[in-house]
Amino acid sequence: MAEKSTKTKIRVAFVGKGGAGKSTIAGTFAQLLARSGAKVVALDSDPMPGLSYALGLDIDDMPIPEDTVIEGPLGGPKWILKPGTDPEEFLMQYSIPTDDGVRYFQFGNVQGPWISIIKPQHAWSEVVSKLPQLDWNIVGDVSGGLRQAMNGWTKYADVALIVVEPTVKGVITAKQLLKMTKASWGPRIMRIVANKVQSDDDLEMLEKKLGVPVIGSVPWSPAILEAERARVSPLVHDPQGTYVEAVSNLIPRVLKLYDIPIDQTY
Amino acid sequence: MKIAVVGKGGVGKTSVSAVLARSIGRLGKPVVALDCDTNPNLGLSLGVGDIETQRIIGIRQQVSDREAEHAHTWDDLISRFGTDAPDGVRLGIVNRIENPEPGCPCCGLSAERLLSQTNFGESIVVGDFEAGLGIFSRVGESQIDITLVVVEPTPRSLDVGMRALELARKNKQGRFIVVANKVSSPAELGLVKQSLAHDDIIVIPFSEALVDADRRGISVFDLKDNETFITPIERLAVELVG
Repeated sequence: MAEKSTKTKIRVAFVGKGGAGKSTIAGTFAQLLARSGAKVVALDSDPMPGLSYALGLDIDDMPIPEDTVIEGPLGGPKWILKPGTDPEEFLMQYSIPTDDGVRYFQFGNVQGPWISIIKPQHAWSEVVSKLPQLDWNIVGDVSGGLRQAMNGWTKYADVALIVVEPTVKGVITAKQLLKMTKASWGPRIMRIVANKVQSDDDLEMLEKKLGVPVIGSVPWSPAILEAERARVSPLVHDPQGTYVEAVSNLIPRVLKLYDIPIDQTY
Repeated sequence: MKIAVVGKGGVGKTSVSAVLARSIGRLGKPVVALDCDTNPNLGLSLGVGDIETQRIIGIRQQVSDREAEHAHTWDDLISRFGTDAPDGVRLGIVNRIENPEPGCPCCGLSAERLLSQTNFGESIVVGDFEAGLGIFSRVGESQIDITLVVVEPTPRSLDVGMRALELARKNKQGRFIVVANKVSSPAELGLVKQSLAHDDIIVIPFSEALVDADRRGISVFDLKDNETFITPIERLAVELVG
């Protein structure tokens, strides 16, 4: 095994309403983290394309083959990884590296019927749960809304960041998502990342209505759409811009959350 | 008639659904706005307010699966568990996720099941779908009469739009119409047309009124200078049911 770092590993999931900006922020966050030299896996459980764009990857689909799993024993998960599978080797084989060294890991997009991605999903979940915790930082992106977030798709995360636009729909969604901490698999800590805010009043409104601190605010930037259209990551497209600066500021703040005593939650 | 409104998160599905439902209502037709999102907020865009939007109980939460299938008619369910919105629209919510681990999302009453197995009679149902294509991919073949594929001129939303059109075609979901929302220039419209290669298309220019309505959680009908957003959808309502 290569030398193990004793530095804190971030395990974070980005959740929020569809279109709030989860994938974009998660992608930039993962890249910046990787540039600091850390091992980072970017997890995509959204069967619609999103995080791959934010990472500047020009791929449509990278499905995990169905024959990576076998039927599990009664009483356990329906499908389990083939015996002897090494999770880290599996990750390296079925993930895609970005220029910054982030490993982009998804289970494949919905092509045919819904049922067709169940086996890859099981393989993906098991690999994620078995990645060596001392080595890997995890940055996850779930599909918009409540379905995945409230159903245990962020089990890997210590911290969940709710990306919220300052709209009433954004606030209603965030209020529901805050209940994730009540689940046995839920994140220990949740914070708000405000996106596309226009003024400090927006931030105050969010903190007041949600009762949870805003850990960062990301300004609207035309660079994001330009990058999406050019199919490069916002980080490559506009490295000095306000958007990248704002996401970069998030990293030390998320690290600091790990100083919060283990019995203290939000 | 069953109308499905689908697309990527944030493109404006809910706003389009609400304005279409109210426009149909204004034409004097019986209309049900069916919120098919497990994070329901169609009520806001219809103009019933945030308290009522968060209060309405999902049909799934009120009846057990067996009862829903055998003991009730759909209009009974919606009249008991829905709420009245302006312009004669009746609003119903299929399934609200209230807590973590709400049970298996593929069992029990779901939007896809309700839309697939129910004949809504004379009523026109406008179904506002969850972001992405999960529910849409699971609706039975030929169960939808009109599919509105809402997109904005961004690559990711057009990507989802393309997949939605493929699904609609594959599952023979009647007529499919592209609704190009937030279009600011001819170049952007060109991008939409080039990406989707679909002629049946409605263009909604970028609307400040819509942005304002979303921030405040109210119906765009209640704001001034809302014609940019409303007029194209009103025309569609007349074409579909007028």
